[in-house]
Amino acid sequence: MIDFLGGFSQFTGIYGFMNSMWGWPIIESLHFIGLCLLLGTVGVFDLRMLGLAKQIPYRYLHKLVPFGVAGYLINVATGIMFLTSAPDQYVYNPAFQTKMLFMLLAGINMLSFYGFCNQHVQNAGIAPLPKRIKLVAGISLIAWSAIIVCGRLITYFRPPYHWCLWCY
Amino acid sequence: MALVVGINVAVSLRLLTTNSPTTLPGFDKLYPLHWLGTGFIFISGVALLLAYPAKALTNPVFYLKFASLVTALTIAFKIQKRLQRDSSNIKHSPSTKSLAACALLLWIVTIFTGRFLAYTNSVLLASRFY
Repeated sequence: MIDFLGGFSQFTGIYGFMNSMWGWPIIESLHFIGLCLLLGTVGVFDLRMLGLAKQIPYRYLHKLVPFGVAGYLINVATGIMFLTSAPDQYVYNPAFQTKMLFMLLAGINMLSFYGFCNQHVQNAGIAPLPKRIKLVAGISLIAWSAIIVCGRLITYFRPPYHWCLWCY
Repeated sequence: MALVVGINVAVSLRLLTTNSPTTLPGFDKLYPLHWLGTGFIFISGVALLLAYPAKALTNPVFYLKFASLVTALTIAFKIQKRLQRDSSNIKHSPSTKSLAACALLLWIVTIFTGRFLAYTNSVLLASRFY
């Protein structure tokens, strides 16, 4: 797997760019901008569903979600650039593994939102939402916050210096 | 930081993506959380500055970040005041849209300069000077 990811990075030129003078910080900055787009749209929408700023109709904030999707795509693209440029520092990294778990949780949670809650939220105007929808919003907010924290921690748990149960 | 930038992004995008005068009720209610996040930025920023003062203060990128951050926060305050003055029917005047666009641009500059701080410092410890 490491060889495959490293080979992909070399083949596509990602490795060369990331190891150029400003490659890494440029992609890190773009990753953070994607994160802010995501948190500014999806995160604020979650907060609204939890009861913050009660005068804002839900659909006003839901209209901004496409910007959050754009932020997510930026983060996937830049994330792949990090991962393939130094695969051993990510694949064996417990912070990265935990981050991926929370991304999976956020993804499943988003599917449940669009499957079972979105129609209700769109028609709710500014009325309070039922607890099950608030739970989905809460899980989303917790998952994205955990993703941010785990992302920040990646750099402090560099294999093979850090031991973890599932690193072998 | 993501919380503060995120709320600014939400308000700015909402202001920029509507063409006609429209209602923005309640958007000013997001600002208490924004200023709480700003408090965290201030505390963590001062802590980082105190930990490695020479690293930041000898780097011109730090001053660029600081200037763009303060200007972006000033614009956020102005937009908040406009929303509070007439949150039920804010006119989307060119000046309000310009402020929103400037805010987005300044937050991008703040993020880039913040990230580049870690890669552009030439001094780590003040002890180098004595």
